[in-house]
Amino acid sequence: MTTTLTVNGTMCTVEIDPGDILLDVLRREGTLEVRGDCHTGDCGVCTVLLDGRPVASCLMFAAKAAGHAITTVRGVGTEAHPHPLQEAFVHNGAVQCGYCIPGAILAAKALLDENPDPDDQAIRLGMDSNYCRCTGYEQQIEAVKAAAAAMREDVHQ
Amino acid sequence: MGKIAEYYYASSCRDAVERARALDSAAAYVGGGVELVLRRNPGVTTLIDLGRCGLSEIRETDEGIDIGALATLTEMSHSVPLQHYAHGSVAHWAGRVASNNLRDMITVGGAVARNQPWNDMVPHLLALDAQVHVLDDEERTVPLREFLRSKRGSALVMGILLPKANADAFGYLWRFTRTEQDIPLLHVSACLHIDTGVIGQASIVVGGRPGHAEECPQLSSQLTGHPVDHAAFAPVIESAGRLVDVGDDLRASGAYRRDLLRAALTGLEEFAAEVMR
Repeated sequence: MTTTLTVNGTMCTVEIDPGDILLDVLRREGTLEVRGDCHTGDCGVCTVLLDGRPVASCLMFAAKAAGHAITTVRGVGTEAHPHPLQEAFVHNGAVQCGYCIPGAILAAKALLDENPDPDDQAIRLGMDSNYCRCTGYEQQIEAVKAAAAAMREDVHQ
Repeated sequence: MGKIAEYYYASSCRDAVERARALDSAAAYVGGGVELVLRRNPGVTTLIDLGRCGLSEIRETDEGIDIGALATLTEMSHSVPLQHYAHGSVAHWAGRVASNNLRDMITVGGAVARNQPWNDMVPHLLALDAQVHVLDDEERTVPLREFLRSKRGSALVMGILLPKANADAFGYLWRFTRTEQDIPLLHVSACLHIDTGVIGQASIVVGGRPGHAEECPQLSSQLTGHPVDHAAFAPVIESAGRLVDVGDDLRASGAYRRDLLRAALTGLEEFAAEVMR
């Protein structure tokens, strides 16, 4: 079947099998910043935003994503113009091997879009899908708080 | 799932049911789709997407709170009417079970229709005496317990009704897990009506036994009509191990689950005492 996916604001028409999984389609189409690992919705590596909300792309039918806005980490910020979250993750040592980071950044972005001043508990809950075996999580929590503070400051300026 | 030959976007609930009937067991409804991907049924070759059937709304009605079948756990946790229903227990737990990504995918209709033994929403909805809006031969509203007993393949869950009668009750949910995201080794839900220190009505449901959730009328009736104190709860805690059928699986023994059951009911006593304060 032919379907249209909107990835980071760009519409693309793709040929998919009706049972195809979104993660597989995105990677097949070259969206390699979306990564796979557990394929059972447990690890959060494959997180994308669907209409601004984080979902496990490994558990979503690609056909179900048609007509919805898909955001990957490349849609959040670029190397030249990083998002405050991306900067804060680097500055706070919240990135080590980096494999889980695209998913973690997207989960954090969805959280801050909804709650610009989250406390530790809200951050833990908002990122409880996203496993990280390198950083031990504390740095990621600090990074989200730092990004939130920077974004609030930007709003006030 | 076997090889999926068709992904069909239903234009209405009636359209979805007619399509499902025509294809019988070869069709499956897609709400969030999580269960369909995780537990593939080789006989299913057509997926019927319900996303265009207008089933996502949560609204207050004269009868209570109607939750559209496609409302996700996150949407339920954000719903203002649900945050006030049964002192917020449904909204609170909808925002905490599973994990963040899955809470944005799991729908209440899917949870009810699939009714997996480890599900945390179904036992809580049972305790709150939820009703199910079903479309099959006709549109009807049936008690959740009845729906779970007599579910037919093509029956479409259109939504859940939380009855007004329990709007001011106290919802209790206790789940024992290794991590917050894990499925529970045991789940206990309850709905208590407490008026001037007396339990007017109680409903206790045990899930993750490891079988499907089961109502516990014998435990519930022991509490009804008694003041909120240890004398009321002690016999319930003491007899629970005999009255509730819990068993073994790879994760825990029946004896361990019986201990958990006592802990959960002790927690219920503490919860009721807290309510009184």
